[in-house]
Amino acid sequence: MKQPLVSTLFDFIASRIPLHKLDVRHMITEKEVPVHRMSWGYYVGGLALFFFIIQVFTGMMLLFYYEPTVSEAHESVEYITHFVTMGALIRNLHAWSASFMIFCVIAHMLSALAMKAFAKPREITWIAGVLLLLITFGFGFTGYLLPWNQIAVNATKVGLASIDQMGQYLPAALSHLAEDVRVTIQGAPAIGQATLSRFFALHVVILPLMVFGVIGLHVLSVQLHGMSPGIEDKPRRKDKFFPIFILKDFKEWGIAFLVLFILSLCLPFDSLFPYPLLEPYNALGSTPDGIKPEWYFYFVYYPMELLPFWIIIVVMTLATLGLFAAPWIFKGTSHKTMRWIASAIAAYMIIMTLFGENIYHAIKG
Amino acid sequence: MTKTLQLLFTLVIVGNCYAYPEFQKFSQTHSGRPINCAMCHANGDGPEGASRGQIGSLTPDELNKLNAARGAFAPGVPIQSPILNAFGNNIITVIGKTKFLELRAHPEQLAEVYGYQSDLDGDGITDAQEYLEGTHPLNNVHGDPMRLFLHNLKAFRLHVTLIVLATIAGFYGFSHLLHGLSASASTKSSVERYP
Repeated sequence: MKQPLVSTLFDFIASRIPLHKLDVRHMITEKEVPVHRMSWGYYVGGLALFFFIIQVFTGMMLLFYYEPTVSEAHESVEYITHFVTMGALIRNLHAWSASFMIFCVIAHMLSALAMKAFAKPREITWIAGVLLLLITFGFGFTGYLLPWNQIAVNATKVGLASIDQMGQYLPAALSHLAEDVRVTIQGAPAIGQATLSRFFALHVVILPLMVFGVIGLHVLSVQLHGMSPGIEDKPRRKDKFFPIFILKDFKEWGIAFLVLFILSLCLPFDSLFPYPLLEPYNALGSTPDGIKPEWYFYFVYYPMELLPFWIIIVVMTLATLGLFAAPWIFKGTSHKTMRWIASAIAAYMIIMTLFGENIYHAIKG
Repeated sequence: MTKTLQLLFTLVIVGNCYAYPEFQKFSQTHSGRPINCAMCHANGDGPEGASRGQIGSLTPDELNKLNAARGAFAPGVPIQSPILNAFGNNIITVIGKTKFLELRAHPEQLAEVYGYQSDLDGDGITDAQEYLEGTHPLNNVHGDPMRLFLHNLKAFRLHVTLIVLATIAGFYGFSHLLHGLSASASTKSSVERYP
């Protein structure tokens, strides 16, 4: 006899989150971590957490001075950068660690894909990880607008306009849906104070709360099931989780902190932009040339500039659904094939991030 | 209405006023960076218009300063044109309006004529170098990343040394703490298992 759906779902959750197995003493004295050629993937996840902690601390410090109003936002960021003691350092730490965090989250996800770390019973760990990736992109998108300068506002306009464009591919009865979604995110028919307020609320309250919840689930799930074996062969050895793995993790955090601190102190993040943070947004001002999103959106941005929009929508929708469904889609796939798939995705992302602009100019002329 | 009248008044009094895009074009082509009028002007969209830092928004006192600046033909006359920023004003002060107008035909020579001494934003990259590299001479977080990094690393070498030492010391102490806790937990666990 077939089990009812709700009962099947409860069984699934109970077997994937076996809280009765939670034993802190066991974690401290017995838990082991396999050591093999893909072990670095475990540490990249820890680094993502480290950069998130830096984000929280520096974000809270920025909150003391940042004013989320269209008339004050830009000036408050200028004030933080040039007049607040160590303000430029804190802002740089926030900006650099955001980029590092996104890099680590992507690298961790690809390593988990290559290790087939989503296989039963770790489906929920994987789904929580995919959610964290999407939330991290959300942080990047909402945070970009907050300085309220000419580039940030215009770039956000371009991003939001792409939601509108989706409307033309929906059935007639639903075609207004895309515009409704855009206006809901924007808070008003045109980008303005309502948009800034919503992005600010998302960036400093809603997304962080979501992250705390999802990270909790992700880490709890890792603790309950242990690290995934990672490779088909026997691992070289197994390290004690406490204190060996924890120590190695903290050593990497220490190195990451030094790199982050020295970069933040010596290399202003703004110096990497074609334009500095200079002019507050002026609705009548011209849109700067060479406007583009942050580097972590290049893998979508350049194809969007080169290909018909509907292709991007189809590919992105399938890719997102594919990520969530990976534990079931790749259930029978070998580790070797998974490594190939992960390498192909990594190669695509590296090429698009480093050479996307060159490819764009080579094709468009 | 008042703004429009003020703009008309300004154009009549001051005469035709144009920015000099030759320098902007050169810097953009030479550096490959997108550049707008804000490199030398008070407003990123240039001097024409009624926004802040544009001719249409000037008060009578500011118009006087503008006219004084427009008459600074010889070098060495300090000017405070309200439509220019500190870099724009410094160019006219250092080389004079006459030489500046001559350089319109040779914008590549502006850096040499202006000289490599002045660094208005104190970021370690001279104004002339920033003009050639298409970065902002008045923004100390905008410049060639490698030059900025090396300049700041030298300036903050004490801070960097201290943070390296603090991190090493912190890790040393923390690793000993963890080893101690681990040893204590193992002993406790063995005692419980084999009393």
